[in-house]
Amino acid sequence: MALREYERDIRGCSRCSICKWVPFAQIKSVDCATVCPSISRYNFHSYSGGGRLILGLSLLEDRVELTEEVADIIYKCVMCGACEVSCKIYRDDIDVLRVIEELRFACVENGMMLPEHMMMVDAMKQEDNVFGEPKSARGDWAKDLGLKDINKEKADVLFHAGCRLSYDEGLRGVVRGAASILSDAGVDLGIAGADEACCGGRAFEVGYRGELEKYAEDFASRVKASGCSKLVTPCSDCYGAFKQLYPMVGKELGVEVLHVVEYVEMLMGQGRIRPTVKVPLKVTYHDPCHLGRRGEPYREWEGEDKLKRPSAFKMSGTRGVYDAPREILSRLPAVELVEMERIREYAWCCGAGGGVMEAYPEFNSWSANERVDEALATGAQAIVTACPWCERSFTDALEERDEDLEVLDLMELLARSLGSEPDA
Amino acid sequence: MLDDAVYREFEEVVGPDNISREPAILDGYTYQIVFNPTPSPWLNRPAAVALPCSTEEVQGIVKVCNRHHVRFKAHSTGWGVFNAPGYEDMIILDLRRMNRILQIDENNMFALVEPYITCNQLQAEAMKKGLNCHIIGAGPNTSVLASCTSVGGVGWTGISMGYNCRNVLGVEWVLPTGEVVRLGSPGSGDGWFSGDGPGPSLRGIMRGLFGAMGGLGVFTRVAVKLFNWPGPKRIDARGLMFDIKAEVPENIKLYILLFPDMQRFLDATYDLGDAEIGWIHSRNPAGMLFTFLFPGLMRETAGRPAMRSAMESIKHMVSFGIAASSPGELAYQEKVVREVIARNDGVLIDMGKLPQFESFMLFGLMRSTLSAFVFRAGGNFASSLVGEETTDSGAPQVDLGVRIKQEYIDKGALIDDMADTVWGSIYENNLFAHYESLMTFDSRDPRQQEWIKVDEEVVDELIDRKWGIGIGLSGAGTVVHKKFGPHMCNYDKWQRRIKKALDPEGLSDPIGYTEPGD
Repeated sequence: MALREYERDIRGCSRCSICKWVPFAQIKSVDCATVCPSISRYNFHSYSGGGRLILGLSLLEDRVELTEEVADIIYKCVMCGACEVSCKIYRDDIDVLRVIEELRFACVENGMMLPEHMMMVDAMKQEDNVFGEPKSARGDWAKDLGLKDINKEKADVLFHAGCRLSYDEGLRGVVRGAASILSDAGVDLGIAGADEACCGGRAFEVGYRGELEKYAEDFASRVKASGCSKLVTPCSDCYGAFKQLYPMVGKELGVEVLHVVEYVEMLMGQGRIRPTVKVPLKVTYHDPCHLGRRGEPYREWEGEDKLKRPSAFKMSGTRGVYDAPREILSRLPAVELVEMERIREYAWCCGAGGGVMEAYPEFNSWSANERVDEALATGAQAIVTACPWCERSFTDALEERDEDLEVLDLMELLARSLGSEPDA
Repeated sequence: MLDDAVYREFEEVVGPDNISREPAILDGYTYQIVFNPTPSPWLNRPAAVALPCSTEEVQGIVKVCNRHHVRFKAHSTGWGVFNAPGYEDMIILDLRRMNRILQIDENNMFALVEPYITCNQLQAEAMKKGLNCHIIGAGPNTSVLASCTSVGGVGWTGISMGYNCRNVLGVEWVLPTGEVVRLGSPGSGDGWFSGDGPGPSLRGIMRGLFGAMGGLGVFTRVAVKLFNWPGPKRIDARGLMFDIKAEVPENIKLYILLFPDMQRFLDATYDLGDAEIGWIHSRNPAGMLFTFLFPGLMRETAGRPAMRSAMESIKHMVSFGIAASSPGELAYQEKVVREVIARNDGVLIDMGKLPQFESFMLFGLMRSTLSAFVFRAGGNFASSLVGEETTDSGAPQVDLGVRIKQEYIDKGALIDDMADTVWGSIYENNLFAHYESLMTFDSRDPRQQEWIKVDEEVVDELIDRKWGIGIGLSGAGTVVHKKFGPHMCNYDKWQRRIKKALDPEGLSDPIGYTEPGD
């Protein structure tokens, strides 16, 4: 059991519960002081980051068995990584999130998977996407956009849409908008169309490490064959997989990997994208976990004494993408950004990650609604994000409520400001 | 094991989602390494854990306990061995659903809170109303209520805000028998403004010096005194800890004070207390700070003579802060602190000249965010608390703690942090001082399992030398109280009588407090 490799981390837990809280200097109110959706929703200590370490020790010492009840605790976690950020402020020698991952690998190894996750992984095996939608329809979103097919011709930039944006028709405007913005800026853009496959990240998060390795291997060879110099994605989930999970399983793509917000910010800096249309809107920005703390590049460190681990190798969340989306927002005429209390490294999760959207929709909805409440408290007219999974969560949450809050991807907002809002 | 029928009775009180007897859940309440004197992280696994959300639910659980003779213990944030069950067949009440600030009374300067409101949360809300709260040395993630009613209560703002033993005003208390009493003015229905009435004043019985550690029932609400906060409603910061950037208000000043020796540190401390100035005051030896902040570096360098010499030369180091209500007050306090420094041959470093450091230390001191760095070097720590006494009597206690600790460092039983990690503050001007010698160690290291012996030696020497009560082993319950009691007016006998009077069935877990007796 690889969990054993983290026994020292586990035994180091002081049960201080710092993992449950927003980093102390950033606590601004009683209502937005907590950072972990799991412990906040389910309350028993085992649902916290530290509680999961203790659960790992219970398993290692055979104090408890890996039963359905235990698997249920393990999987009721959005794997947002907020516990890791708060813990790492004080501890160099505990990698909370790695332990949480190992608990899930153990579930899969011991046949304690959840049916919803098995269905998702089966769908991936059959159709190369998490929804089980026809592989042949994967590129339909790009119809009539005139993008290059990298299977047929070379392109400088490979645009990877990801499963959610390829198949969620409600978000079609996001992906078409993002691709059009780049294309209009003169970027030599290509897509894989029906041959694009899932990044494998969601399989990894529910415990199927091998699936990720398989997809990463396949993806690396496709990227290499494409001859592109950059890989750009509008999906934060995919971005997190490329930046953090692929290196973790030893796969490097060998090209520059960018989230579309990073690339757009760069193009804006070069004057290639110039938003001029006033969009009078007060917005708040939601940091997607997989773009922020879980989009932090992973670097393998071989040492044993983690107190000596250089900070560049320590996953603290601080090297995620936080400034680029805010920089873009600042350049949109008449758009006013009002920040929520929990932002950047300590943002509250939308609830979609870690297989929670698939297996525990009520928990997903609860977490999204918490965030919607926080957004509404700012007085914003729109909550803007940069991840289709977050956008889907907020949109679904708001469908049940009578609130005047628009949910937008940053690329949708940018398209408005460019006067080129695409058809969906 | 709880009988199924009894479990169902508990379940009826809190609802099925808020009680569990799943072993994996229970182990979350069984594991405690901090202040745990045994080599195992596991204490007793309770029979169940419940999550009550109201005083009525707490009372309901306690009544079921009384009907079926089930022991119980409540905790708020649940950190430290005193939160662990003393027995296997008992029920733990995790009070985290009782998480509301019920009132902040600006006119009477108090807050009424439930058990799971942390110091951090209360401070953030109080500042919006021009008020501040005393945060205990254990850090901002601790329960306001627990530091008022049940455990300790000292911290770095003691010089201006006192000690939570005395800051506690009204209390709502579910006795071990299940009766609900209200102490202080709420006991007569007159609001929550005074701990001594009109209404019953039982603060001494409720907690005494250090608290009953969950051994006298469950406290469900507390009114705590708040203090003037002359700063802004919110200090916005960028960054998480070392990288924090914040604009320090003009009326806030932070200093490092250095003294050449213990005597001049003590004299300066008296001077500051007598002058009635200061917002924050804490002795923070350089070796301690370096070990906490840069544990990897200290591991490499602690043995080098140059490092030891450097640390030794700046060990009498004080963090001092001023929060002034007017420019005139600021100027006056600055003038006084400079005079105190000059009179005692000290060195004053104005953190304002080091903006990045000042930002870091602002939150470190104002919000006690530095506290949890104690875990950084080895993951665990213990405290050889040496006294709640006068500043002068604290000095030899500091020496005692350091001397004994050094012996254990020398044999590898503790992490080398230069031994003098005694932090301390003064309270209510110079009425008393609290000095506390921290020990850092790694409980994963088989050589580092002996911290309790340091505490035992310190306690024995305190008794031999008649240097006053040490509170280092207070969480250890009856054993240590029996040691100290005969030298301190037999207080331990009174404790046992109180326990018997309030908890005749002995149901409120006595492990951190005392068994009932005559």
